[in-house]
Amino acid sequence: MNNGQTKSIVLICKSDVILTGLTEVLKGSLADEIIQLHRGDEIIDYPEMTGNILVIATTEEIEKSGGFIRQILSDTGTIQFLNIYLEANSPHPNSSVNIFDSPALICYKVNEILNSFAVIQPRDTDTELTKREIEVLKLLTKGYSNKEIADQLFVSTHTVISHRKNISEKTGIKSASGMTMYAILKKIIDVSEIDTADLI
Amino acid sequence: MELFNENSKLASVIHKDHSLLPVINRLGIKLGFGDQTIRNICEEKDIDINFFVEIINVFHYEAYFPEKRLLDFSVSMVIEYLIKTHQYYVNYLIPENDRLIELFLLANPEESNENELVRKFYANFKEEFVIHISYEEREMFPYVLELNEAIKNPSFREQFRQKHPGFSISGFEKEHSNMDDKLDDLKNIIIKYLPPNYDQNRGNAFLNNLFMFEKDMKNHSRIEDHILIPKVKQLEKVLLNHE
Ligand SMILES: [Fe+2]
Ligand SMILES: [Fe+2]
Repeated sequence: MNNGQTKSIVLICKSDVILTGLTEVLKGSLADEIIQLHRGDEIIDYPEMTGNILVIATTEEIEKSGGFIRQILSDTGTIQFLNIYLEANSPHPNSSVNIFDSPALICYKVNEILNSFAVIQPRDTDTELTKREIEVLKLLTKGYSNKEIADQLFVSTHTVISHRKNISEKTGIKSASGMTMYAILKKIIDVSEIDTADLI
Repeated sequence: MELFNENSKLASVIHKDHSLLPVINRLGIKLGFGDQTIRNICEEKDIDINFFVEIINVFHYEAYFPEKRLLDFSVSMVIEYLIKTHQYYVNYLIPENDRLIELFLLANPEESNENELVRKFYANFKEEFVIHISYEEREMFPYVLELNEAIKNPSFREQFRQKHPGFSISGFEKEHSNMDDKLDDLKNIIIKYLPPNYDQNRGNAFLNNLFMFEKDMKNHSRIEDHILIPKVKQLEKVLLNHE
């Protein structure tokens, strides 16, 4: 569902108390990782971050360092910003959170955004398999390992893995036996070519 | 978002999300509950109100998962719920799936090759699934309940340690992602890749059941991975500190 993309939260706030409290609350969210910063520009310490990122900060902080954060994290997936309001009763739009909201509500709003990442992500424009991917798929259905396929095609194992990932993304099929079924139904291979007993 | 609470009328909860029906059955409630609120019904049937409310909320709102509060429930209560869920799968959902897939495939006898493939794929998924849940009931849940007993009852500790020398849940933990993938693949194969000459209504009926199964199974795995396992790890720490 999430195409193996991690979901991280970057919390930015000057107050350690608020950072700690929010982190506790967001432990119940779908985030794989939560990073705490006092200022937006401290993101410079995390250039290797990957996956989808939700930045939670005050409106002023986002205005000030949003651009810089995008620049540093330019290699990652989706980056989204969520405004956080720190005063009780301050009027705030529905698309933001207030630290006086109930923890369940904060978590819910954050999860809604984290969930939406998976929807934005898939590139379903291009679902045709390439020639190379078809070759890899054929070998997969014969039960070869990534290493064996790499040797046969004179490429690295890493390349084979990335072909596999692309095949899964394009077809929506993840398991090895599912791929075999796909290949048969799409007439890429013939049933007689494989030993259905142990593959499917 | 408005969460269900103990003052919600159960009938209106069900009108809002009827996929909760098997969930409330598992929690001990049968149809015909009139206009009673969750509180009334739970008191009458001696069901833990907080547990009931959290379980239906977690099931209904996929994004809602108050981990901290869920960790407060006793392991025996969580396990009882998980086992009832397993029973629902084994006694109802899986046989229903078997029936619907056969109806679907039998309506199209010409495609015997395709039919055989789908059948085999489904059978494999089912086998893996049944092995998974029976393992949990045979090995993992008893371990958790014994651990829980050993903490409550010091006289039982020695016996527990002898039975499980290096006691740790990590030896019992089994992944859910393989099964999730296969179920997802099965859905995709039927939705995207099956030849179009199949009976559509029967295909839809089978798919409906698969979607229901998927929703229920994901919720179930989530409770195991994020409530049961962390809870057991806490208990293991407590026992270690008693040494
Ligand atoms: Fe289970
Ligand atoms: Fe499980």
